Amino acid sequence: MSTIPINTQESPPFLLDLIYRLKVKDVMTKEVITARKETPLRKIQHIMKEKGITGVPITDEEGKRIFGIVSMDDIIRALDGGYIEESAERWMSRNLIVLEDDMPLQFAISYLDKFKYGRFPVLNKDRELVGIITSRDIIIALLVEVNKEVEKLEQQIVQPPSKPGEEAWLLYNIRKYDFENAGKASAGIKKLLIERNIDPKTLRRISIAAYELEMNLVVHSDGGTLSFRLGQDRVEIEARDRGPGIPDVEKALEEGFSTANEWIRSLGFGAGMGLPNAKRVSDEFSIESRMGEGTIVRTVIYLIVPP
Amino acid sequence: MRVRDLQEVLELELIQSEFEDTEIQGGYTGDLLSDIMAHATKGSVLITIQAHKNTVAVASLVGIPAILLANSRPVPEDMVEAARKEKIAIFRSNETQFTLSGKLYTLLSSF
Amino acid sequence: MKLETVVEKIPCTVVVKGKGFDEVDLRSIVASDLMSDVLTTVDDRFLIVTSLNSEQVIRTADIVGAPAVLLVNGKQPQNGMVRLAEEFGITLLSTPLSTYKVCYLLGCLLEAT
Repeated sequence: MSTIPINTQESPPFLLDLIYRLKVKDVMTKEVITARKETPLRKIQHIMKEKGITGVPITDEEGKRIFGIVSMDDIIRALDGGYIEESAERWMSRNLIVLEDDMPLQFAISYLDKFKYGRFPVLNKDRELVGIITSRDIIIALLVEVNKEVEKLEQQIVQPPSKPGEEAWLLYNIRKYDFENAGKASAGIKKLLIERNIDPKTLRRISIAAYELEMNLVVHSDGGTLSFRLGQDRVEIEARDRGPGIPDVEKALEEGFSTANEWIRSLGFGAGMGLPNAKRVSDEFSIESRMGEGTIVRTVIYLIVPP
Repeated sequence: MRVRDLQEVLELELIQSEFEDTEIQGGYTGDLLSDIMAHATKGSVLITIQAHKNTVAVASLVGIPAILLANSRPVPEDMVEAARKEKIAIFRSNETQFTLSGKLYTLLSSF
Repeated sequence: MKLETVVEKIPCTVVVKGKGFDEVDLRSIVASDLMSDVLTTVDDRFLIVTSLNSEQVIRTADIVGAPAVLLVNGKQPQNGMVRLAEEFGITLLSTPLSTYKVCYLLGCLLEAT
């Protein structure tokens, strides 16, 4: 059997985030078809054919306590060995490798690659059988998530820039840990401003504010939007995220204060300078944050209006 | 030149003073811990803006006797404590990594 | 200091030749691996010396108005980094030397000009 071709160490950040964020319980099949110890192998063979499955856990009456598993291979061996009419108890595989429902999906992928079994029973903290996970379940879950992601990507630019001389606005969706696309929103904003002949010093300040807020969303938030509005005499940039919220806003504005982990730091970010720097280049700056709900950072930079 | 001499010749602020006053073998400039771990050599002074307790852990691993923080970076208390435990000196300067590297290199090659 | 002088005097290779390569005049040098630090620099027209080889270095250079980036420790730029440098017209250089050593050499060059 071929392995699942996902490098669980060095894949793009989106995939790594995905396989750690999704838990085994989010992906597994919850309605498990089980059989008893005394069930004849012939009966299990019929169950497999009827339900289109390749493995049947052998459990107690409630289907909670697992004793073993009968796989398609066991059935083939029974047919060859002429004991297909015997009960499961004697011939089931007792050497069970199980997953816990709270483990990240990454574990399931590694297990499938490492042990070469087609399926793993899933137990909860009380060691009760709560599901079964196969490579098919994983493929379906990953495809669903990737589809959602592609949809989001397609919506990334909501409004195209308007004509020179008019007010303009841009809105970008920013995703957590998406370092591949990080900076694209700010680049878009900068491009629009160059087209409008904004003076270089102000342009630089606006670009820095936009980039800092964008990186802040990538590094610290659970994702959100960056909106940009070009008015007659001012530029407004607003970063709005879905959480997790800033516990202490004063602290977050202190230079050098950071909650970033080692991975983020190894990418050259998360040194605790982003928000203070965005504030430094702005004429107006405010943060509203609610734990568990999200944060809104607003900055305003005044444009030099020719007399 | 010894660790103790750095303060005067580079006009540094001494942040963590309980250190082993060893002979300085060279210098290394960087802010990525993985990079410092891979390239810095024993006895070198580390010039960085990464004011974090993990920087002390890497310094201790490599055998760096002194950390020189550039750009007046604020130093968290847990970093100072970690350095005290490891007997690693911490200095601070308002100069950039670029300027400090040039000055230290010039000094060390004149000794 | 001319960017051309840097390429001439410092052992390095030119990975991407940026916009107006022959005319670029550098006012100063910023050596850092933390782009959030580079973004706080008040100056522009400086050379970024870094061991970080990701796209964000080029994005940062573009935003602060730094015309060139020098990668140290013989690090190879990631693919996206080269593509973005070409797109933004930013010169990308690579040297086998460390930041520490290259800062000293650049400092000598700056003083001489």
